[in-house]
Amino acid sequence: MSPTTAAKQAELLRQDGNLYFKKDRFAAAIDAYTEAIVLCPNVPVYWTNRALCHRKRNEWTRVEEDCRRAIELDHRSVKAHYMLGLALLQKREFAEGVKELEKALDLGRGANPKGYMVEEIWQELARAKYLLWDNESTRRSWELQNLKEACEAALKEKYFLDAPQTEGYVDENTESNLDQLEALERVFSKAAEDDNPTEVPDFLCCKITLDIFRDPVITPSGVTYERAVILDHLDKVGKFDPITREPLYPTQLVSNLALKEAVKTYLDAHGWAYKMD
Amino acid sequence: MTSPSASSRKALSKIASNRLQKELMEWQVNPPAGFKHKVTDNLQRWVIEVNGAPGTLYVGETYQLQVDFPEHYPMEAPQVIFVPPAPHHPHIYSNGHICLDILYDSWSPAMTVSSICISILSMLSSSTAKQRPADNDRYVKNCKNGRSPKETRWWFHDDKV
Repeated sequence: MSPTTAAKQAELLRQDGNLYFKKDRFAAAIDAYTEAIVLCPNVPVYWTNRALCHRKRNEWTRVEEDCRRAIELDHRSVKAHYMLGLALLQKREFAEGVKELEKALDLGRGANPKGYMVEEIWQELARAKYLLWDNESTRRSWELQNLKEACEAALKEKYFLDAPQTEGYVDENTESNLDQLEALERVFSKAAEDDNPTEVPDFLCCKITLDIFRDPVITPSGVTYERAVILDHLDKVGKFDPITREPLYPTQLVSNLALKEAVKTYLDAHGWAYKMD
Repeated sequence: MTSPSASSRKALSKIASNRLQKELMEWQVNPPAGFKHKVTDNLQRWVIEVNGAPGTLYVGETYQLQVDFPEHYPMEAPQVIFVPPAPHHPHIYSNGHICLDILYDSWSPAMTVSSICISILSMLSSSTAKQRPADNDRYVKNCKNGRSPKETRWWFHDDKV
């Protein structure tokens, strides 16, 4: 078989696989994709499509194998990084899994509308990140609590030790001790601040979703929106900026990279903000 | 009047219910002055008490707004009506329908329940005469069978009242 014939044949097999997949016939789809892979082992999509079937069947080791192969062929494959991330999380390799999902999210931003899966990736990433934060913050909070109690005890002990020698100055001594205890309280509550869930600042949230940005894009009016949602608005409501009402077309939207970094920095320090309702 | 339009009977989409939860949280922290949200467990229909602003024709009066959210809120405007008896106002029909452009053609997904409430209160406050729209009877008759105001083809009264 000549290379072009093989490629054509493999492409037909992929289409068969897609049809089986749509009908939830995953074993048949896997067979079709496998044949395609045998004919043309260097096409990453055959590997990611087969991985998706394995995912549906909860065969995560196979998902991982196929995704790793797809990434070798195309290191920018959003789907391969995404499903590899899910497979690693299944294996409880959290740090590695999160890293793959972050990679997928990064590559997925601004992708063509047909293959746009940022929200799906974000949901999975957020779930994993929140769990990591939950574990870490519990540990941090224990550590701080123990340290605080030890410091309080030390200050009180010092107060009693000082007391007999400074007869006549008792009031002054008491006051300075109380001040120190108060200062200690302030220092420790400051240290716990980042782990205290509050509200995400408005400037990190889209004015339409009211939620923290996944893929922020800025309009010529200077307003930033969530990409998927502003595209939906331009498609369904009208070709105008929702806030300024200036005319707006999809091609005018530009990624807001600075805000994307700001969101990342904020989330790194405030893992609770990954929590979804 | 209490029958929601066909579009608002469908359950809220995920985006819609997320956004409404955020709006509700924000409302609880920072409600618009003169309004009170009547707490229910129905996220898709809000009932809001409006108090006429001091120094206006409606001071001391209380009305109820009913806000129904469509499946694809905020890509689609909510349906907002006064629960009769509605205030006497040149842009408010006796069946509670409100002639206000932002609720229909001029809706933008960046608007919120809170900003709608503020627009409605400002519409009430700028009124100089407590009267019904000139075409009230004809309009209300046309709306029998619980037609939604969102199905009306509005021509908007001018802003001067």
